[in-house]
Amino acid sequence: MAPAAAHFLKSLTSIEMAGMRLRVGARSHVGRVRQVNEDVYLLRARQGLFVVCDGIGGGPSGELASRVAGDAIVARLTGADADVPVGHAHARGRYLPRTSMLAEAVRRSNERVYDRARHDRRHTGMGTTVVSAWIAENVASIAHVGDSRAYLWYRNRLVALTCDHSLASANANNDESALVRALGREPEVDVDLTEVPVRSGDYLILCSDGLTRMVPETTVGNVIHELREPQRISDRLVEIALGNGGVDNITVIVIEVMGSWWQRLSTQWRPHAGGIPNAEAHPAD
Amino acid sequence: MPKLILQIDNRVLKTCVVDQRASIGRLPDNTVVVDNPAVSGHHAAVFRDGDHFVIEDLASTNGTFVNGKRVSRQRLQGGDAVRVCKGTHSIVFDEQGGDGESAGAAEAAPPEIAAAPGETVYVDADKHKALLAWIRSAQAPAGAAVLRVLQGQADRSEYSLYAHTSVIGKSDAALVRLKGFFKPKEAVAIARSDDGYVATVLRGKTRINNEPVRERQVLADGDVLEVGGLRLEFKLAG
Repeated sequence: MAPAAAHFLKSLTSIEMAGMRLRVGARSHVGRVRQVNEDVYLLRARQGLFVVCDGIGGGPSGELASRVAGDAIVARLTGADADVPVGHAHARGRYLPRTSMLAEAVRRSNERVYDRARHDRRHTGMGTTVVSAWIAENVASIAHVGDSRAYLWYRNRLVALTCDHSLASANANNDESALVRALGREPEVDVDLTEVPVRSGDYLILCSDGLTRMVPETTVGNVIHELREPQRISDRLVEIALGNGGVDNITVIVIEVMGSWWQRLSTQWRPHAGGIPNAEAHPAD
Repeated sequence: MPKLILQIDNRVLKTCVVDQRASIGRLPDNTVVVDNPAVSGHHAAVFRDGDHFVIEDLASTNGTFVNGKRVSRQRLQGGDAVRVCKGTHSIVFDEQGGDGESAGAAEAAPPEIAAAPGETVYVDADKHKALLAWIRSAQAPAGAAVLRVLQGQADRSEYSLYAHTSVIGKSDAALVRLKGFFKPKEAVAIARSDDGYVATVLRGKTRINNEPVRERQVLADGDVLEVGGLRLEFKLAG
């Protein structure tokens, strides 16, 4: 089969949700220096839910914290008892109900990690960052704590959607960051929220600081512009981060917002197939 | 471009570009907000005077200090440390304003937090809660803009855009509800951010000031949107 035709058939299998389709790619890598990958990503493409967590606390504790937090968020929002709100947005609050629910899920995950750390002395002081996106009805709700980031890419522009909760070190040469907010370190946590309308042709990037500290934003934008296919973008970004030192764990999720099939036929006819239609796993290389 | 760099314990908290004029004070409308009761609402101003910059104390209660000396009006030089209240903060004037850290910041003592290269550490101290409140106060949202209906059938004459995201469309969740079989469920979403309001065209045709909008556009006061048979005027809060 011609590659272009294969791509078209593949794109038909991407996730259709509320009039929009998402194509997703992701990758996590331990990096060149660390022994353990404390990053975790979770993809629930069918529900439009995506999470990246970057554990802190060293070795098994960081790994546990990020996994507990990620699982708690996903379980809360996609579990059988999850009461997913629809619309009726603006009437009272400042944010859409979905955004508030995402925030609530993140706050709960904080309690989970905090309780676990308090009751198990081996994991005292563990914590994790989180950046999560919940996409439905053309709006992406973004919640984050710490220095994992979300970006929106459209028309060759990369826009940061999050602002790190860290103190930039006064010493420019010192490659460190000090988090002022993380999940699991205190009984309650402030969650930063934002909403961004998304349309076909947009890309959302969720990533840990292992990527953003190794790969300049202009490079991220260029890679998306060049490759366009989420899994290939993810792989390339991780390769570049490794090439630039890979001092931390590297994790990235790339989500492409696609139009209807006829829009794709006219604008996205490209000879590259791929992507994860509905990946549920989060393998750590 | 010259910058003012707000630091606490020698760590950079916020960097503000000074173009012509910048103000320092407790109230959120200042360029650099220092949320401390000892700081006056509008405490000091930094402005361009020919080819250099000058700081002026705006008759503040507790005074403005440059490198430890109280001043009422003084020319600033790169690396000057400005203080408007007691405490561990300082505002460093960076005349060159390169992309990196300021000269003053580079000379500062290294942070006490020790970490291996690439390591992420967590600072848990009560003072950082105060810092966060500080940052947040600098981002206090202004009053909400409105969409005024100029033409067409709508259930209201004016819609307040106080939600973070407001949708125009046929959807039940839309703020401005479009009626009609061929109208899109979500035609336009208007998102509020620190920089203002951005209209994102999701489906169908939308025009702003008679020009078709393809993807996203920052809305300006007085812009007229045409969407789904409605003509709406965007008005910023007075």
